[in-house]
Amino acid sequence: MPKEIRFGAFVREVNSRHRYLSYNHVTPKPIIDDNGESVPYHAPKFKLRTGVAFRLIQPYVQVRLVDQIRAVLPLALYLVLFQIIVLRSDVADAWIISGGLVAVILGLMFFMEGLRVGLMPFGEALGSSLPTRAKLPVVLTVAFLLGIGVTFAEPAIGALKAAGTIVSVKSAPYLYTLLNDWSEVLVLGVGIGVGAAAVVGTLRFLYDWSLKPLIYMTLIPTISLTLYISLNPELSKILGLAWDCGAVTTGPVTVPLVLSLGIGIAAAAGKGGDGMSGFGIVTLASLFPILTVMGLAIYVHSVTTPEEIIAAAHVSKAGVDILPWFDKTPWVEAITGLRAIVPLVLFLFLVMRFVLKEKLKQPGNIAYGISLSVIGMIIFNLGLTYGLSKLGAQSGSIVPAAFTTISGIDSSPLYNWLTGLMIAIAFAWILGFGATLAEPALNALGITVQSLTNGAFKKSTLMYAVSFGVGCGIAIGVAKIIFNIPIAWLLIPGYLSALVLTWFSNEEYVNVAWDSAGVTTGPVTVPLVLSMGLGFGNAVDAIEGFGILSMASIGPIISVLSVGIWVQWKVSRHHRKYDESHHIGKLAKQAITPLNQTKSS
Amino acid sequence: MNQKREMVVLTDISLITAVVQRGKADELVKAAQEVGAQGASIHYSHGRGVRERLGILGLAVEAEKETIHIIVSSDQANRVFEIIYRVGDFDTPGMGFMWVTPVEKAATFIPDDILEKFAREDRRNPFDVRPNEI
Repeated sequence: MPKEIRFGAFVREVNSRHRYLSYNHVTPKPIIDDNGESVPYHAPKFKLRTGVAFRLIQPYVQVRLVDQIRAVLPLALYLVLFQIIVLRSDVADAWIISGGLVAVILGLMFFMEGLRVGLMPFGEALGSSLPTRAKLPVVLTVAFLLGIGVTFAEPAIGALKAAGTIVSVKSAPYLYTLLNDWSEVLVLGVGIGVGAAAVVGTLRFLYDWSLKPLIYMTLIPTISLTLYISLNPELSKILGLAWDCGAVTTGPVTVPLVLSLGIGIAAAAGKGGDGMSGFGIVTLASLFPILTVMGLAIYVHSVTTPEEIIAAAHVSKAGVDILPWFDKTPWVEAITGLRAIVPLVLFLFLVMRFVLKEKLKQPGNIAYGISLSVIGMIIFNLGLTYGLSKLGAQSGSIVPAAFTTISGIDSSPLYNWLTGLMIAIAFAWILGFGATLAEPALNALGITVQSLTNGAFKKSTLMYAVSFGVGCGIAIGVAKIIFNIPIAWLLIPGYLSALVLTWFSNEEYVNVAWDSAGVTTGPVTVPLVLSMGLGFGNAVDAIEGFGILSMASIGPIISVLSVGIWVQWKVSRHHRKYDESHHIGKLAKQAITPLNQTKSS
Repeated sequence: MNQKREMVVLTDISLITAVVQRGKADELVKAAQEVGAQGASIHYSHGRGVRERLGILGLAVEAEKETIHIIVSSDQANRVFEIIYRVGDFDTPGMGFMWVTPVEKAATFIPDDILEKFAREDRRNPFDVRPNEI
């Protein structure tokens, strides 16, 4: 018997005054020309009053501003509060640093929006149409060149150059020359590594290669080369830099652009439906540059000697008193900003125009996006110099005052040696843990992983595992600087144990774990940690302060792989228990054997 | 005795459809639920029109949209209509568009206590004639 009921018993309520307007008054009337044909209608542009325009722009800006404030402010506050409360010293140049941090926030906001509007459509168009229009060698060449281009456009790369000014030429001449005289070649070397990673990653998508053998094949030469370099006392000082470069490259430009090309190629070949296909490129892009930078260092070693470098550095310091205009402060940043973005855009444009023979769909939007990203890059570079690097270097140079005597801080050491050391290590651990947990890319990775593993690997488990790994990595990196442990002693066992864990892990967990290392190092964390390490190193008279980032990369790989193996074991135990409790093994045998016997008889 | 299976048909329903920029739907649905809407379904869609007419300001408007369908009782319709207008800033260009459509009938799970209180038997829509009764 069907019944009908009233859905609600509410009184009809109207809160605002309704004014009615017939839509017929709004829509245009058809216009007929002399020949009796209707003229196509073109809607006129709106003329907005300032108030309305403001209401339109305000939410747009607000969302993006809040995103960046969330990325920068907690970290900066943590450093500042730690310095004031635990180390009892004021922040020097507080106004300049605040201005710099504001510049970082604004710069990142402009840059990310420009990236979204101007560069990503390029990347997507390339990814979807290049593989169908061009032959594989052309596609791979484009992927390779794109890898180089995106490296130059990566905002955190500027931090490497900024770090070069802190390194002392006497204690580490090769490191100094790589970061100053060879800095462009260094970035190019990193770019070649990323390009090679893009090529191999694309081939991996195409032919469904497993990531495990690729990791073994990359790591064995990398570790052997590390061993070789660590035996040379002068060269061994660049190891920290080489391994850090891997972490620096995988940022907000490289990952989406290279990925969209790779996924597009895989999709065009009819592969890559299994959700796992997006992984791997990030891993390779953080491993290959290590190899190229070590190669570059060996080359530099073969062409110059430490004495020559020190002499040249003195000459250049003595000779140049008045810098030319393009080396003065707002202009250097402006030129670096332009040089970072323009070549990449030109390259993408030329590929669109001459390889794909396709016109830009919305040239206005793209021009807007590109100018935004250039402006953003320039502001970000300014903020990097005056905000992040300065703040990081300052905290790094003051934290050791907790356990040792630092000139310039009156009451240092502030605590007894052991307590102070614990405080410094805890500071580093919390910094790494907090910065990673707040990284939006990690949240996204967590969601992907949870759905890929059908919930066996929970999002929060992954996020905590990665953050824990990064925290421990940064703490170990700081300990390395304090006790002057050669970085090879930490890296080689670290990566060897990662290899062993990889051997025992599922393909899925291997993909996730190795990629998680690259995901965590964003454009705010990298400069801060890098300059903190260098400041720390200078304060305790270590030879060089690199290596913290590389420890922050290996940390999450090991922690995520271990958790992965634990999850694997838990799942298999669950299945075994389920089978045992239901006697599935026995029952199935009993059920099948008589059946077969009856059939055969 | 008639042993036909029973089903409950809801009447007096309106459908509110609102098209807003991607990412805004959750906020609007929450506001609508606070004035009594039961739920909503959200579809991803892609819009054209007003955004292009805004010129350079159009860049502040996301071309990717979310389309929200909310089924409300006809008594609620105005309240939900108004709250979406206000929370979604529909008096600003590019923020969204919505409309209300009358719905003939709907069906879903109805809790027993509500059924006992309000349901009346077989007061069918006069246009709804089932073939086996002719």
